[in-house]
Amino acid sequence: MFLARIDGTVVPAAKHATLEGCRFLVAQRLEADGSTGAEPLVLVDLLGAAFGSTVLVSTDGDIARERYGNTTPARMVVVGIVDPVQGSGRAA
Amino acid sequence: MRLGIVRGHVTLTPAVPQLLGLTLVVLEPVTMANLRAKNGLGGGKSLVAVDALGAAKGQMVAFTEGAEAANPFWPNKVPVDAYCTLIVDSITTGNSPPVEKQESEVQQ
Repeated sequence: MFLARIDGTVVPAAKHATLEGCRFLVAQRLEADGSTGAEPLVLVDLLGAAFGSTVLVSTDGDIARERYGNTTPARMVVVGIVDPVQGSGRAA
Repeated sequence: MRLGIVRGHVTLTPAVPQLLGLTLVVLEPVTMANLRAKNGLGGGKSLVAVDALGAAKGQMVAFTEGAEAANPFWPNKVPVDAYCTLIVDSITTGNSPPVEKQESEVQQ
């Protein structure tokens, strides 16, 4: 699992059938010192994370498979939203 | 998932039987700077992914990697570790400035 900051949303033109009605977020992985990673990530949003919030992401696909069926390619899923008071690192 | 731009297609002859009939696309992952600049550049290390959505060349897709990429072929086993999950229509990214690495502050 790792921490990421939500940076935007993705509107899909076409997507895998099992991800019907999903919300896709653009996020950046947060390093320990609060700096952001080079590549954007697209996450499946189960919890309705707000823009700019810090979230906990799991790359274990089981929860996605449980929710969207055995044939879902979803992998990175938002499994928790970090409480802004104890935000990690120096991310503002 | 990561974002990538379709740079071309791959046709295999010969291939392992499970891969026959799958459309394969060459993807170039997009870095955050290029995504924000919307300059159509990728910048990442390219890879090949299975595409069942029919993405055209130049389109941006989000692809998933790892064992979950073979899930869509469940229950049969397919040696695939990258799969195009969605074709991007539009992306809104905030203009929050990227936070630089720790060392750059030390040099000032």
